[in-house]
Amino acid sequence: MLTSILEQTVNGLMAGSVYVLIALGMVLIYGVMHVLNFAHGVLFMLGGYVCHFIFTRVTGSYLLAIVLSMAVLAAIGIALERGVFRPLQGNLRNQVIASLGLILAIEHLVIAVWGPNALQFKVPATSALVPLGELRFPVQHLLVIAVTLTVVAALFIFLRRSKFGTAVRAASQDRQSAMVVGIPVERIDWITFALGTALAALGGALIGPLFLVFPQMGDAPMVKGLAGILLGGMGSVPGAVIGGLLIGVVESLSTLVLPTDYRDSVAFFIMVAILLVRPRGLFGVRVRGED
Amino acid sequence: MRTLVALVLLFPAVVLSQNKVAIGIVTSLSGPMAAPGKFQMNGFRLAEEEINGAGGFAVGGRKHTVELKVQDTRANPAEGASAMQRLATVDKVPLVLGELHSGVAAAEAPIAQDYAVPLILTIPTGPGLTEQGNRFLFRVNANNDQLTAALAEFVAKQGWTPLSFIAWNNDAGRGGVNGMKRLLGETKIGYTGYFNVGEVDFSSHVSNIRAQNARAVMLLMDEEPGSLAIKQLRDAGLKTQLIGTLAMGSDRFLARLDAARLEGMVQYNAFPPNASVPRIKAFSDRYRKKYGEEAHGFAAQSYDGLMLAVAAMQKAGTTTDGAKIRDALAALEHDGVIGRIRFDAKGQASPPVYVTQWCANGSRRVLYPESLKADCGAG
Amino acid sequence: MRIAALILLVAALGAAPTVSPPYLLHVLVLCCLVSIPAVGLNLMLGYTGLVSLGHMAFAGIGAYTAAVLMVDAKLGFWAALALGTLAAGAAGGAIGAVCLRFRSHFFMIVTLAFGLMLFSVMNNWDDVTRGAAGFPGIPRPVPLGGFAFGRLENFYYLALGCAALAFAVQWLVVRSEFGRILVALRQDERLAQARGINAMRYKTAVFALGSAIAGFGGVLQVSFLRVAAPATFSLGESINAVLVVIVGGAGSLAGPALGALVFVGLPEYLRVASEWRLVVFGVVLVLLMLFAPRGLAGLLERVWRR
Repeated sequence: MLTSILEQTVNGLMAGSVYVLIALGMVLIYGVMHVLNFAHGVLFMLGGYVCHFIFTRVTGSYLLAIVLSMAVLAAIGIALERGVFRPLQGNLRNQVIASLGLILAIEHLVIAVWGPNALQFKVPATSALVPLGELRFPVQHLLVIAVTLTVVAALFIFLRRSKFGTAVRAASQDRQSAMVVGIPVERIDWITFALGTALAALGGALIGPLFLVFPQMGDAPMVKGLAGILLGGMGSVPGAVIGGLLIGVVESLSTLVLPTDYRDSVAFFIMVAILLVRPRGLFGVRVRGED
Repeated sequence: MRTLVALVLLFPAVVLSQNKVAIGIVTSLSGPMAAPGKFQMNGFRLAEEEINGAGGFAVGGRKHTVELKVQDTRANPAEGASAMQRLATVDKVPLVLGELHSGVAAAEAPIAQDYAVPLILTIPTGPGLTEQGNRFLFRVNANNDQLTAALAEFVAKQGWTPLSFIAWNNDAGRGGVNGMKRLLGETKIGYTGYFNVGEVDFSSHVSNIRAQNARAVMLLMDEEPGSLAIKQLRDAGLKTQLIGTLAMGSDRFLARLDAARLEGMVQYNAFPPNASVPRIKAFSDRYRKKYGEEAHGFAAQSYDGLMLAVAAMQKAGTTTDGAKIRDALAALEHDGVIGRIRFDAKGQASPPVYVTQWCANGSRRVLYPESLKADCGAG
Repeated sequence: MRIAALILLVAALGAAPTVSPPYLLHVLVLCCLVSIPAVGLNLMLGYTGLVSLGHMAFAGIGAYTAAVLMVDAKLGFWAALALGTLAAGAAGGAIGAVCLRFRSHFFMIVTLAFGLMLFSVMNNWDDVTRGAAGFPGIPRPVPLGGFAFGRLENFYYLALGCAALAFAVQWLVVRSEFGRILVALRQDERLAQARGINAMRYKTAVFALGSAIAGFGGVLQVSFLRVAAPATFSLGESINAVLVVIVGGAGSLAGPALGALVFVGLPEYLRVASEWRLVVFGVVLVLLMLFAPRGLAGLLERVWRR
């Protein structure tokens, strides 16, 4: 029994790392702009498709394909921020509808162009298996973990130690005061959005070779990542990480004791239960101007 | 005088001129099930091409060509009802064929009855569909109960229990699990791992299956998640017996994995494309010629559906009277690509169900029924 | 002027079965059926500002309750309709009370979570709901007087009547004190609370009412289709309901009707190139939010004023 619990915990951490990858971009954007971008999931998916395209048609270098796809998605992110989210700032309901519209448009555009079938994204360099006790994981999966940890660490250092990072934190804590002090909040907005979308692309580019690239690949991870963010605390990066991992672990452990067709429900149930006790989430911060 | 003679001579030519008969098709062209929907359409189009290529079919002294009116129902019951309504009252088709989902078919069937337009299903497997006493509903393909009956018999004989599952949490997956549970008995069933369409990480299911020492694992899903599940099972070092669905008995599937991972895996198959049975081989060749790929069971079932629709119209002697066509269908015996098709009192046909197995070299062989047992390369 | 237009509309709708082909009638019935849950959501989202992403799950509660009552308990349609509506309303009250402890983004996600959990129950509870393959064999209402509802024209009148009832309830709520308080809560909850209004009680009440109306629509829908399938009450359908309300015009009386017409009517006439159709629709939604956030009702009002 103990081995099963350990095994499922490891499985859950691995699955959770996917949710964290998606959540990072979302929580960053939310923290600064108070915009909840539901379309993040399809941007993650688009990143996977763009990376696959570049890898198979343009360059055989996986690394280069990742970097280029991040750049492409960052550009798309800036366009979205300027064109859609900035004009709708402050209006939660309209932002949500607009992002739903983006989901429809982008997901079906991908289906119209690439077709409904899944694509195989084979990266020979990372398909070997690494044994971990009784379990074996593809190198790609360990790469996902390593990259996620690096990104989280980098974000931490950036936000805490750099001048720009401090400005970002100031803008997210109290936008008005930050403007008064002369912090260029508008520039911070689009840079953060670009960074967030680039992270989404990174996620898609890393997950693609692990499983498959298909139009719905971002849908479930986005909702799970969202649950993770809520669980961890809406503006908090460490919260998003812990929340995402926790959701993954809870899902995997639940298969030991509950009927598996309710696996999704368990994660949401736990999320709601924890929120009822701690409405801000585990690491949530109270932000001025919000209730 | 000369004009009169000319007219009299021309008259038979006018009478024998071609008429178009519109036949309704309901399927998923978009949405998450668009991939299997494509195979369904391929089957219909192949049949349409062959019928029209031969100059059409003859009813009442005239030749008629087939024109397919295709409606996309997107796995939504309300859209299915609308599509059926439109086909019956706007396009005024004499027959409708197809559909992918049981839930949607259940919304289409009552409308078929309302307007006396026979509906011939070629893919949905929900057994409840043919239990509603609807005289205008027919089903060409085997339903879940029939599929699982064949497989359960085979599994029990091989002693492959306890049987575990990794299954789609939809009508296809759940139906398969429930069917096997009913036939084998709860004691022979092990772990049941459900997952949603679109999920790709089976690690928690794999771990549980290993922990329970499952003798065999049944994968109730389509090609894409199937290839991932098998990869993850084999990567985890599990050597359990694998059992799959008809989607996993094709070369297309093999291309996603490799023969080593698939070797020994067994699947129920409505249509083993390389079987040495002449009707199967002939169809596979024609399909490959038109589409450049291996035939799929869904296409074969749909092809037969359109062919027998035409046969029914000919037998009934009408291309417009739905009630007469319905009666013709009820009494029809048609030799299709999938076997002899004859509908029982509930409108259900009983096509043969095969069990095929993957060999080490990437070919397949037929294990069941005993009479059609064949060696590697003919499955 | 408006009353004249309304009377004309009612007359046209009433005369529809005699002049329109069956397919058009079918589409009109679907419009009516889609508009009913939309009315419920309009009261919640449009007037009170509660963005629920799990609305159709309550339509499902009404639908499946009625299905089980009609098929397993052999209860009549009208009793099942009443009980289904009540069940949906009760569930709305209970679940709403939990969801309403959260605000804005949190509220949205929690309603989404409950919607997903309810969907799982509908999909997985094979013994009661018949599971993923759907619950077939749901009957049309038993003939009333000379009216046999198996016929499309007669069901049309039933659907039209029920939709009219839902809109009447909406109108009564909106012009009542209750409705005014809801709007006040949407505009500035703290101010309303400072004036002594128990926000939680009112919001829970409208959540329950909106859910009950959704359940009412759900029962009608499955009686029309003669099957109850989980797909009809999924997250995708809940999102569609939100879009119907927004596109039609949230917070306006005619909004749900306009939204339903667009959502049901337009795809029926554009049955070509499905994928590109959806891409265009997504883009239109974004443009709508940027340039016409008050939806069709808002646009019509602007035109009317000229």
